[in-house]
Amino acid sequence: MGMGKYLIRRILMLLPVLFGALTLTFILSRLMPGSPAYALLPEQATAEDIARVERELGLDRPIWEQFFRYFGDLFTGNWGVSLSIARGQPVWNIVLQRFPRTFEIALLSIFIAGFIGIKTGVISAAHRNKTRDTILRGTALVGVAIPVFWMGLILQYFLGFQLDLFPVVGYKTPGIGDPPVITNFRLIDCIIGLRFDLLGDYLFHLILPVFCLSFITLAGITRQTRSSMLEVLEQDYVRTARAKGCEEKDVINKHARKNALIPTITVVGLQFGYLLGGAILTETTFSLHGIGELLVVAIQNFDYFVLCAVVMITTLAFIIVNLSIDLLYGIVDPRIRY
Amino acid sequence: MDQPDQEKLKATKKDNTLKHIFSWIFRNIKFLLIPGSRIEELTFKEIEYEKTISKRKFIRRLKSVLTLFGIVLILVIASFAVHAPWISPYTFFEVNDVYPELINYGPPMPGHPLGLTEFGRDVLGRMIWGARSSLTIALPSIALSVALGIVFGVLAGYYGGWIDSLIMRICDVFLAFPYIILVMVVVAIWGQRIEIIMLAYGFLGIPGYARLIRGSVLQARELPYVQAAKVAGAGNRRIMFRHILPNTIQPVLISFTFDIGGIILSLAGLGFLGYSDPQMVEWGNDVAHAKGRLPVAPWASFWPGLMILIAVLGFMLVGDGLRDALDPRLKSIFGGRKKKEKKKKK
Repeated sequence: MGMGKYLIRRILMLLPVLFGALTLTFILSRLMPGSPAYALLPEQATAEDIARVERELGLDRPIWEQFFRYFGDLFTGNWGVSLSIARGQPVWNIVLQRFPRTFEIALLSIFIAGFIGIKTGVISAAHRNKTRDTILRGTALVGVAIPVFWMGLILQYFLGFQLDLFPVVGYKTPGIGDPPVITNFRLIDCIIGLRFDLLGDYLFHLILPVFCLSFITLAGITRQTRSSMLEVLEQDYVRTARAKGCEEKDVINKHARKNALIPTITVVGLQFGYLLGGAILTETTFSLHGIGELLVVAIQNFDYFVLCAVVMITTLAFIIVNLSIDLLYGIVDPRIRY
Repeated sequence: MDQPDQEKLKATKKDNTLKHIFSWIFRNIKFLLIPGSRIEELTFKEIEYEKTISKRKFIRRLKSVLTLFGIVLILVIASFAVHAPWISPYTFFEVNDVYPELINYGPPMPGHPLGLTEFGRDVLGRMIWGARSSLTIALPSIALSVALGIVFGVLAGYYGGWIDSLIMRICDVFLAFPYIILVMVVVAIWGQRIEIIMLAYGFLGIPGYARLIRGSVLQARELPYVQAAKVAGAGNRRIMFRHILPNTIQPVLISFTFDIGGIILSLAGLGFLGYSDPQMVEWGNDVAHAKGRLPVAPWASFWPGLMILIAVLGFMLVGDGLRDALDPRLKSIFGGRKKKEKKKKK
């Protein structure tokens, strides 16, 4: 089967998943208590006003019709307006403002975590069951087990309040201004707009959150690299390499590592997918105004058009990342054919 | 071969079903944890093999520093949960009361060794009582997900075809959805009550286990012993749950230990976002309340968070140790020692 055919088949298989996720969102949003009309109207609104707004939003129709309209609206880009977070603003605008930040943070974290995680995983496997391995494995497990918000708070306390090294919350110093909005990605906007002072400030604010996120993602990557390295090190070609007199360093870094990285890619991709889904807790701890924080606020305020949009974006991002990982496999490992 | 099998069937049918289920679980736990426990079912040679190698190997593998540390941590948390009234200096009602005469978020003082949190409540007491609510939610919900996940996974893997597609697509939907969002929405809809949180975690854990079990059932389905059972006249249900299931349950056992930790962690996150039952003492929630007073009263958010770390780390360490001990793919990790022993024998 060719690559194109495989891609088409995979995308067709993804459609039911996306459909299911959207249906689930629809059901949950309609189960939420309260009518959106209450949120849109002032408190002294009459029953007629409420009925009128409900009719405008299409909430008086039978549930099946609402369901089809919901789908039609989603695909034609009519995502509705925010009900309580930013009253009356189109959801599409809010998401467009929030998603790039989450994307930037996720990308930075996954790069750092992947770089360090693969290194430590290889070291850990090369010295298996030695002290170094035990320490690295223990650290990796602490990374999985640590509550990220607690870690964030501790860093805030020691590095922010006590030593006064880093800013504690937010993504910019208050009152510093914004670069010209071109792509909504603050990093890119700063570079295009030649505002390097803003770029420095932004990156400085991102240090602590990115450190937290990398630390918790690092753990999974280290563990996966270690176990696949251990498997690869038992293979015949590694023994051959050793027998022909390669140095141990070359055996591990050249012969073994390349082959061990294939399963690691999956883990990196999965982690990236989860980070795109909004590192909810980290974003809340550092108030970064990303998509995860938006989601929490949307649920707290029963703002269900925003909720639907965010869930759609996160699910879509997760699915797309997974698909690209599958395709990447074929490029990294020539043995895999579709 | 056929006759004793039939007799056994009759005997089991006569038995009390509850007793039967318990004995099944007990037997299989023994089989999983102590290789060499199935002595009556094995031939003489196999018994010798099991006795000499398997048991020693398993225990030796489990005996790493990290695993032992994990077991100690779990014991600490479990004893906090079970013996909270004895260990904690204050009763459950005392740590939930309001004390106007004490300073909110007061520093450590005699009688309150770790300081005070909001309303003058004792931090140490809340740390200890929190263990109870974490375990009370984590254990039943994980039991629910494992039980239903196993059933769906085995059905999907064994029958294949449209049943498989249906179950797996539904699982995909839930797996693509961020876990904590669903719990939050469910709790927002049906109320912040302990049983709702428990059920939410229980149901959302099912897809993971179903997929895990299905993978290994797909492999096991093609093995000769399944065909042997078919030829011997066993029904589908018997093949699925008596022949295939006990042979494919190991990955679940590993994942299970990890997931207890995962649920406790996720629960803390839920509490941090303000979605825990207000009537329970919950570590994540305590951290959330103390968050605003971080520069003044770091102890109020430090200690509950540390408890989350300890509880989760304990289960993760044991899970890691179990995986190293049970995973056949990783047997070679311990190859170094085995080779040395062989050399000595020679």
